Amino acid sequence: MDSAFITNLILASVRMATPLIFLSLAELYSQRAGLVHIGLEGLAAIGSLVGFLVSLITGSPLLGVLAGAAVGILVNMIYAYATINLCAEQIVYGMAINIFAPALAAFIYRVYFGAGSELVQVGLMTTLSGLLGIASDNFLVRLLLDQTPMVYLAYGLVIFTAIYFNKTKSGLNYKAVGEYPKAAATLGISVVGVKYAASVICGALAGIGGAYLTTCYSTTYTDGNVAGRGFIALAAVIFGRWSAGGVLLACLFFGFCDALQIRLQVGSYGIPYQFFQMIPYIATVVVLTIIGMKKAGPKGVGKPYLREER
Amino acid sequence: MEEFLRMEHVSKRFGDFYANKDINLTVYKGEVLTLLGENGAGKSTLMNVLIGLYQPTEGSIYLNGKKVRIDSPAQAVRLGIGMVHQHFMLVEAMTVFENIILGDRNTKGVFIDREARKKEILELSAKYGLDVELDRPITEIAVGAQQRVEILKALYRGAELLVLDEPSAALTDIEVEGLFKIMRKLTEEGKSVIFISHKMREVLHISDRITILRAGEVVTTLRREETDGQALANLMIGRELAPSQYTKVEQAGEPVIQLKGVDFQKDSKHNGLSGVSLTVGRGEIVGIAGVDGNGQSQLAQVVTGVLTPDAGTVDMKGTRVAQFTPNGFILENVSHIPEDRNKMGLIGEMSVKDNIVLKTTETQAFSSAKGLVLKKKAIRDYALEMQEKYDIRCTSVEQEARNLSGGNQQKVILARELEGEPDLLVAVHPTRGLDIGATRFIHDTMIEARDRGCGVLLVSADFDEILEVSDRIVVMFEGQVMGVYSGKNPPIEEISLAMAGK
Amino acid sequence: MKNKFVNILVPLISVLLAFVIGCIVIAVLGANPFVALQALWTGAFGSMRNVGTTLARSTPLIFTGLCACFAYRCGVFNLGGEGQFIIGAVVCCFIATRSGLEGPLAIVLCLAAGALAGGLWAAVPGVLKIYRDQNEMIISIMLNYVATLFMGVVYTNWLRDGTVPQTAPVPDATKLSRLFGLRVTTAFILAIVVGLLIYYFLFYTSKGFQLRAVGLNMTAAQFNGFAVKRYILMSFIVSGAIAGLGGSADLMGTQYRLINGYASGYGFDGVAMALIGQLHPLATILVAIFFAVLRVGSTTMQAATGVPTSVSDIIQALVIVFTVAGLAMVKLPQFKAAVAKLSARKEAA
Repeated sequence: MDSAFITNLILASVRMATPLIFLSLAELYSQRAGLVHIGLEGLAAIGSLVGFLVSLITGSPLLGVLAGAAVGILVNMIYAYATINLCAEQIVYGMAINIFAPALAAFIYRVYFGAGSELVQVGLMTTLSGLLGIASDNFLVRLLLDQTPMVYLAYGLVIFTAIYFNKTKSGLNYKAVGEYPKAAATLGISVVGVKYAASVICGALAGIGGAYLTTCYSTTYTDGNVAGRGFIALAAVIFGRWSAGGVLLACLFFGFCDALQIRLQVGSYGIPYQFFQMIPYIATVVVLTIIGMKKAGPKGVGKPYLREER
Repeated sequence: MEEFLRMEHVSKRFGDFYANKDINLTVYKGEVLTLLGENGAGKSTLMNVLIGLYQPTEGSIYLNGKKVRIDSPAQAVRLGIGMVHQHFMLVEAMTVFENIILGDRNTKGVFIDREARKKEILELSAKYGLDVELDRPITEIAVGAQQRVEILKALYRGAELLVLDEPSAALTDIEVEGLFKIMRKLTEEGKSVIFISHKMREVLHISDRITILRAGEVVTTLRREETDGQALANLMIGRELAPSQYTKVEQAGEPVIQLKGVDFQKDSKHNGLSGVSLTVGRGEIVGIAGVDGNGQSQLAQVVTGVLTPDAGTVDMKGTRVAQFTPNGFILENVSHIPEDRNKMGLIGEMSVKDNIVLKTTETQAFSSAKGLVLKKKAIRDYALEMQEKYDIRCTSVEQEARNLSGGNQQKVILARELEGEPDLLVAVHPTRGLDIGATRFIHDTMIEARDRGCGVLLVSADFDEILEVSDRIVVMFEGQVMGVYSGKNPPIEEISLAMAGK
Repeated sequence: MKNKFVNILVPLISVLLAFVIGCIVIAVLGANPFVALQALWTGAFGSMRNVGTTLARSTPLIFTGLCACFAYRCGVFNLGGEGQFIIGAVVCCFIATRSGLEGPLAIVLCLAAGALAGGLWAAVPGVLKIYRDQNEMIISIMLNYVATLFMGVVYTNWLRDGTVPQTAPVPDATKLSRLFGLRVTTAFILAIVVGLLIYYFLFYTSKGFQLRAVGLNMTAAQFNGFAVKRYILMSFIVSGAIAGLGGSADLMGTQYRLINGYASGYGFDGVAMALIGQLHPLATILVAIFFAVLRVGSTTMQAATGVPTSVSDIIQALVIVFTVAGLAMVKLPQFKAAVAKLSARKEAA
């Protein structure tokens, strides 16, 4: 293990953590409003495809990301209506989204490219150093500047989220909806309004998280390219104890696991590469097992909210 | 005195049932008005109308002489009505400070100006003697402090009228003294208080006027000086207590269950047991009287094996219980009518038939080959027989239990729990929410079980029910046994005092 | 009675709606929806051969559907059907290609080992749920990825056969026999038998009755003396065993070898089928066959109209989206009130 290995590992960790940060923040915003969402995998899949297509058509990865956010919101409105208005079970409906959204993505891909098309590739988002015209092998330069704008957005969002939930009035009201909707309602907070706002934010972030994969990470779209990140994000929220900072650390940890497995694959050491690929998934199970669940997290999560009548 | 609130001819109907009927009520500035009434007398409904959770079916509400419409809790807050619910509306995961400023609309700006808000809150708290630690999480402070937070929350929103729903139910004596001081302070400053309680001593101590509710209607309103405890009690119940129609057993049989010094989370005043010793003998009904949340639920769950006590011993028919599991107690022939029939008693989405045989599908009668073959016909026939015997009104025994009325749901549970001729029956609030007919039926059934030699432990917050059927009355307060009284000619006043912790 | 009616009506309406939307999509793509539907039908049922293919295609789906159904009956969400299915197939592949055993004994051994492996794989989330109060959904999904990767190790390394990353086919003597010379094999019969057994267990035995009670109301089940934790663990293990059995039956019946993409998506399909079938094992089987019809038929449809096969995935997905929403809707108090009003008006008229 040389220093290049370690620098590359750190750089890759930051990159791999980014989509997870978007997805985990999506989950965080949803759960903070009392909506547990296991359908992020699906939202990310459709976001990933639409991001890819729009970036291919327009030649602008940025527009791709925006389109990913838009489609994420759109699809998540189905979830929002079903769980908030129809009081469908959140877990079951999240599962429905997990089946529906990737099917839609796969379908659109087939329709657009036809069956048996060759691999279509798309240009990735330029990094900041690329924009500035800086090229350096210096570790710090690479860490701080050699990143796509999405990476800065992700970290910016973490800071924003931390401030929003801890320092603002609106954030406090938002959290109250997830903890004790009845109490929030007696104080004049619109419970349904907050839940819908949460679903918009969640859909957008999950769509962006998916679009990141096809605009900043990989040059093409393949079915299943989200690869469980939507579920790992769920684990990251639990691991991060429902706080923005905690979620960031959890994402960096899972990003590190992902980066590590890629680096180890390169080294190979005669071990089948799949064993390395298992690392993030096994790490998730191990981490969850160690921290245990207890009764943490917003207390109103998973329960439908109805104004009571006798 | 200047009038603050007036309710005129307010009625609230649910279906055909009047929860409040033609209520007239006035609250003056600077007074404590007490609403006195039994469970189900309509106090909570009336207050829910006042704070905008329910819309009155008829009638109008005036504030400062002006007619108002209160269509949401937020609107009530804007009008200066603050309510401290019996079950606090506090977000446990947040600090005291955060709970107080939650939903704040009085200040501008996106961010929370902690320093400025804290200063305001501290001024308020100093003015009314509401001592709180602003930065502690709600979970870390005592119940009395949580209550002060609730009051502060209301005052911070500019409440002129505070509704305190059973505020002393969860407090220790010292805390109650503190609460009364705060109430005095509030009225001195010209605020009004509606105090809901059924602890006579406190009512007489703090009230300026007392409005008595019975069966959804106002009986009368009295000035504090005009009345005394006995008169209030009679007004509240509506009659001189009629002697029970059931013959009381004075000599019970051998003990079925015997508790000695049982502790369960004994530091918790409202969800724990502290040194409880108690015996239920064959052929007697032991009634546990007490205000809700004084450890009765925990007692019932210990004697049915759901909870394991921290200390003390439990003897079942003379044998020490080593392991507390519901199944172990069921095998000892203990039956349980749990306090929440939907959550604990019934599988709502299963049929009436399935709920009746819930515990017994493995018996010879209902299955063969060790449970491998259910005898569907036998189950159905038996269910039909039980439907007849317990007068369960349902469209068929295949109907889902959750769609039955409360009374019929309870009868399903009775059919299941009593047919096995239990040695011990633990019944918790068995008639809560039921009509008179169903209540009578359930009382008759309990008496029958008693006469067969079953020991019955009845937990009820309905004092009438306790007096009606109990052969012995045990009063619980804050997890402790306050006294044991004979069910025949019970000393009512003494028992009432014991229920209030005296 | 009324409830049962609604339970059948909601999925039927959902299927109808999904097809209507599917047809609109087909029309938008420039094909004639009626031609497409006819092609779909012919593809699935046009000949005995096609029927055989459809039933063969439904076989693994039935197993994963029953897997999800059984666990959810006990109130736990096993999203790991895919992993359990794969592990069953992997273990079966080892025994079939490496043990040297042949004939019925080998087949029985393979099936049993597959079921055992699937059960053990599912025991992991079960144990973690009981002892660590852990989220069984996340764990079981993570194990799906681990199982898929593990299968990758097997077909690219340990049991690789030749240059292509895939295993050798199972020996002919361990292949399950075909029915009437069609693609469908005895694995289908096995799937139906498992479905019937589960149906019998759930509705005609005391333990099944108690398991359902636990699934519907854990607190009440505990108060009534049932060993709730034991049922939860058992339901996980049995559920995993069903999937594992399915994996080995599928390997010996249809697929014969492990290859990239094997069983991909079966787990979530199973959950979808169980939910549409409202956790009734026999209904789940019907839904699985319906899914297979869509899949097999859509190939013919693609040939006839040029509409991509994945339109069938959209229709499936819409069915689940509508069914779950519809079932929630009919439970709403407002909906019940509206229905009551309507029927009252009818009576008055």
